[in-house]
Parts: sequence; C-alpha cells; structure tokens
Amino acid sequence: MSNPNMKLLYVVLALAILISILAPFLASSDPDGLESAAEKIIGEERFTELEEAEAAIDSPMPDYSIEGKGKLGEIIAICLGTIGILAISFGLGKIIKA
Amino acid sequence: MHIPDSFMPLSQALIYWAIALPFIFMSLRWARRDMDEMKIPILAALSAGIFAIQALNIPIGMGTSGHMVGAALVAIIFGSPFAGVLVLTLVLLVQGIIFADGGITVMGANILNMGVISGSIGYYGFVALRKRNIDIKASAFIGAWLGLFISSIAAAIEMSLAGTFPLVPGIVAMGTFHFVIGIIGEGLITAIAIGAIAKARPDLVDDKAVEASKEVTL
Repeated sequence: MSNPNMKLLYVVLALAILISILAPFLASSDPDGLESAAEKIIGEERFTELEEAEAAIDSPMPDYSIEGKGKLGEIIAICLGTIGILAISFGLGKIIKA
Repeated sequence: MHIPDSFMPLSQALIYWAIALPFIFMSLRWARRDMDEMKIPILAALSAGIFAIQALNIPIGMGTSGHMVGAALVAIIFGSPFAGVLVLTLVLLVQGIIFADGGITVMGANILNMGVISGSIGYYGFVALRKRNIDIKASAFIGAWLGLFISSIAAAIEMSLAGTFPLVPGIVAMGTFHFVIGIIGEGLITAIAIGAIAKARPDLVDDKAVEASKEVTL
C-alpha cells in the first residue's frame, strides 16, 4: 500500500503498544476524578456499595485484567484492547467508504 | 470520568442515550463525507493511541488520578468535533463492553460528556485561539484543558440530577480534580501531540477553519 499515512499508523501503534505494556506498572491506582469525588462526597460506605453494584453485563476482562494472570494478564488485556480498537476503527472506515 | 451504571437510574441514562444518538449518527455521516482511503489509517492510529493512553492514569495528588480523554486531539487533527465523537464512541463501547470501564446503560452520558462536550469545546476553543494568531501548541493546550474541565462540570450536574451527588459539592470536587487532570492529562499531552504532528506532518493538522476565517477578515 502506498498510503503515506500507514507509516504514521505504525509509529502511533508502536507507541500505543509501548504504553499498553507499561501502563500496568506505571498507571496510578488512585481513584479517578469521578470516583474520588464520589468517595469524598457520599462517603466510602455508600461509594463501595455503588461500586460493587452488579454491572449491566458481564465483561470478559473487567478492569483491564485477566483473572488469575496478574500483571501479565493486564498487559495482554490492554494490548488486546489497543489492537482491537485499531481493527474496529480501520474496519469501520473501510465499510463506510466501501 | 467514566460513569458506572450504578451512578444513574436507568430512566435518566436512556435520556442521555437519546441526546447522544443524533451526535453518533452525525459522526458517522461526517465519516462518510470527509473520510477517505488516505485518512483511515489516521483514524485507526488515533483510536488505538487514545485507548492505550486512557489506561495510563496519572497521579494528580489529593489521592486522585486521571487520564487523557483525547476527543479534542482527534477533533483538531481532523478539523471536526464529529471525529472526536466517533473515536470516543468506539473507545467507550470497547471499554464498557470488554473491560467494564464505564457503564453500558449510562454510556450515552459518557459519550455526551467525553465525546461531544470535551471534544467540541476543545476544538472550538482551539479554533478561536488560532484565529487570534495564538501559537498552535498553546491553543491546543488551552482548548483541550477547557474541554475536559467543562465536561467534568457537566458530569457533576448529571450526577446531581441522578441523585448521586449533591450539586455544589459535586461541582467543586469534580471541578477541582479535573482542573488539574485537564492541565497534565489533557492539555499537556494534546499540545505535545499536536506540536509533534504539526512538525512532522504539517499537512495533517487541519487548520482549514482557521485559514478560511483569516481570508474572510482580510
């Protein structure tokens, strides 16, 4: 393919995979802005209750992890997500323009 | 800022889906009109990059962390806020369904906040500053920061309507955290990315809206 933007795709993909591998080690485990606000405003007890409420669906890799696989599982989960979303958006682009 | 399902009653969650759906349809229409074979790899690259960077929570102090959203970056590169809506919709779908990050019923609200609001404010803020001949990186920084900040206020208002947070403490807490997340997580990374792309591939940063407005004023 002679599309010069493919080079950009490879560069960004390499960067994204690097982030996906490092994220399980580098990412802060502190609650995010919304969770932290919830914890402070409505109290830890009610927040935990809401957090543990049953999800609408069962996700295969909740919290970017694979059960029992530790950090390696997290790396695999995030990498799969990164490659998956790349394939989905590439495919969607092709379908829309087909 | 990914709202989980338990934070909003189903009846309200459906209203946000109803608001978000027209924007999702318009983003698909944008893709049909403005995308071409050449741009597909850029869309795919940005989607993958944004998914990965959203997994990287940065500590901001106060026992809190945050990550980039990225809708503003996508909107600036493609020259349309609908590009940001499209990418964030895809990212939020994968995050919600596969990784339980952000709810399913409440996904419409998340698409509205992160895809529509943060991306649109980020993009139009960027364009407004560029029209005043502000440096491209500074414009990207301020636009992206403001987009994230305002979207967090929107989320706080939604949380208040949902009965999860009281209004004022919700706005104060969400605003405070996202003021900081917006600087580090959103503004800085967007400015660096736009600066790098503008240098390596100046053809890719779509400044059409800015150029067109300059011609009009001349």
